[in-house]
Amino acid sequence: MTLINLSGIHSETYRELTDGDLPAAGESVLVPLSQLQDNGAAIFELTSSVGVIVDTETAYSDLEEFVGQVSFVDIRFPVFGDGRGFSLAVRLRKDFGFKGEIRASGHVLPDQALFLLRAGFDSVDAAEERREAFEAALKRFGAFYQTDMIGHGKSVAHLRHSASGNDTTTKEAG
Amino acid sequence: MYAYDTFDRNIIDARVAEFRDQVERRMKGELTEEEFRPLRLMNGLYLQLHAYMLRVAVPYGTMSSKQMHRLADIATKYDKGYGHFTTRQNIQYNWPKLVETPDILTELAEVEMHAHQTSGNCIRNTTTDQFAGATRDEVEDPRPYAELIRQWSTFHPEFSFLPRKFKIAITGAGQDRAAVKWHDIGLILRKNDAGETGFEVIVGGGMGRTPVIGKTIREFLPEADLLSYLEAILRVYNEQGRRDNKYKARIKILVEALGAEEYARLTEAEWQKIKDQHIDVPAEEVARIKAFFTPPPLPVLSDDVPAVDEFANQNFIFKTWLDNNTNPHKVLGHVNVTISLKPHDGIPGDATDEQMHLVADLAEKYSQSEIRVSHEQNLILPHVAKQDLVEIWKILDANGLGSANVGLLTDMIVCPGMDYCALANARSIPIGQAIADRFDDIRRLQDIGPLKLKISGCINSCGHHHAGHIGILGVDRRGEENYQISLGGSGAEDATKAALLGPGFDEHGIVDAVEKVVAVYLGEREEGEEFLATYRRIGAAPFKEAVYDAD
Repeated sequence: MTLINLSGIHSETYRELTDGDLPAAGESVLVPLSQLQDNGAAIFELTSSVGVIVDTETAYSDLEEFVGQVSFVDIRFPVFGDGRGFSLAVRLRKDFGFKGEIRASGHVLPDQALFLLRAGFDSVDAAEERREAFEAALKRFGAFYQTDMIGHGKSVAHLRHSASGNDTTTKEAG
Repeated sequence: MYAYDTFDRNIIDARVAEFRDQVERRMKGELTEEEFRPLRLMNGLYLQLHAYMLRVAVPYGTMSSKQMHRLADIATKYDKGYGHFTTRQNIQYNWPKLVETPDILTELAEVEMHAHQTSGNCIRNTTTDQFAGATRDEVEDPRPYAELIRQWSTFHPEFSFLPRKFKIAITGAGQDRAAVKWHDIGLILRKNDAGETGFEVIVGGGMGRTPVIGKTIREFLPEADLLSYLEAILRVYNEQGRRDNKYKARIKILVEALGAEEYARLTEAEWQKIKDQHIDVPAEEVARIKAFFTPPPLPVLSDDVPAVDEFANQNFIFKTWLDNNTNPHKVLGHVNVTISLKPHDGIPGDATDEQMHLVADLAEKYSQSEIRVSHEQNLILPHVAKQDLVEIWKILDANGLGSANVGLLTDMIVCPGMDYCALANARSIPIGQAIADRFDDIRRLQDIGPLKLKISGCINSCGHHHAGHIGILGVDRRGEENYQISLGGSGAEDATKAALLGPGFDEHGIVDAVEKVVAVYLGEREEGEEFLATYRRIGAAPFKEAVYDAD
């Protein structure tokens, strides 16, 4: 699997902790949410570079207590059609103001690249042979009918009426 | 009518290119069928019983002559010379080839049409009153809001992978012709005491195997807050809707499980957090969209047109057509004409390429080049001057489109059933045709009066049988097609769920059963009473007795 960058942020590589394992001092680690819930204090004492693994069934409220401490969230899609992962990313951005990296892993499609980016994801863990398709998909649309879910960019409706967007004959990037 | 600007144009062109690429990747095997399926579905492309089926959106049921001509051309070039207008104000082509679908989309895009989200687990084509903006009983034209929803929901980053399909309907009239209470979200335009425009918001309606009438969760939502409120409703549903069982995944099940009050509370709490986040579009954008729907400049004419009355007095069929197929227009001296796509022996909702061209020509000449599609699978010429009615009727009648049966028993909604649909358990079209055969006398139909008959070929209820005054459901019983009859449903403002009358019948027995039901009504009705009112007054018992005990 390979890391595909959606948003241009610098992606970290983390070691995934296995059950009961503890990080070395200062080590970047990726930890399942259940393990953080059981053993979070000990983990955060050893390192401040922690990512959390959640699945699409995770309630966003379960993340609240860790959101200020983790630097990235890895949302694992069992199937690409499980839209809960999208709302979870939106929640992280909107409700908790999470500024760290959000990664989609598991089953996601290149055709979803813009949906993921605009729902708040920064990166995707996908098969290397799909990198090109992901990158092509990112360039597919130049403007969007909605403001994206992280509050960046203008929707077509806003572009039509903003000072710079008055000229609706020019293609604008959203 | 809404007209695309460069933004809309760029988006639709990019989408066509994207779909062309997806089809190519599928052909090359880079996408599995499992992965391609939701991508093609989100573009209205199904794999049906015999072939692919492409469902094209007619957003909120409004189109131009130019667009109708194009739909006809596509039927000629890529199909077998016809198209099928559906209860979702879409048109379906039953025989396109997969490799040709990108070309069809290109041809549609040239006339500002598309197949975005006509299928798939996303927000579908928003539907509305077929007389929107043209009818006398309207608070406000719902189409600008439907266009707003169309744009907002198109390729929505968060709501394109919902637990199930999601349907929104909106009406601005006192009489509900859009069946809003039978949708995932129903919106009714209202004015508050201060004269401001807003919406009554209804959630959790739907047919399928669990028919539920939607519940009001907000009496009055200011118009400026529409999109943020929809976002709040959808977010709650996306997170909490069931994904373990597709038959329990619709919002109606969640609303039933939580209770409407709790759903309203969750929505309201979410909305309070997001309502100031620029989700709603600026007021200038609403004004811009509304400007496309300015009523056409029709001259105020007299509602009395002696020449038309005179012709009606001499021609019973024309008089019946006038009574049933026209609806009062906002502007005096005008009407909205419904062209019945339910001719005797026809397939309800089907139109040939020639008929589509003819309707487009009529619209150019008589209805401001505008055409509507109704959820009852008919076509409408809005804004017609009464003085033109005789001429229009003669042309329609000469071309097999003169059926005067709108609102009557043979103006049925009928799903494609086992003749086309991969899900169906029974045939629907032949049953509809057999009933139409039995009731082929327009005088008899006119005497029976307004009666909505709706037929589904499986429990998914595409034929809306739950909302039929008489509903028929085809099921498979040990390999035999069996037809159940239910009575008393309504898709209008007094929405009710039809109740099953008793055991089902074979394909001949069901026609007899309908006839017996009608006979009971004719015997029991009071002066001026319509079928549904009689049923509600006397209840199911007399019908049951006649249908089951007389043998």
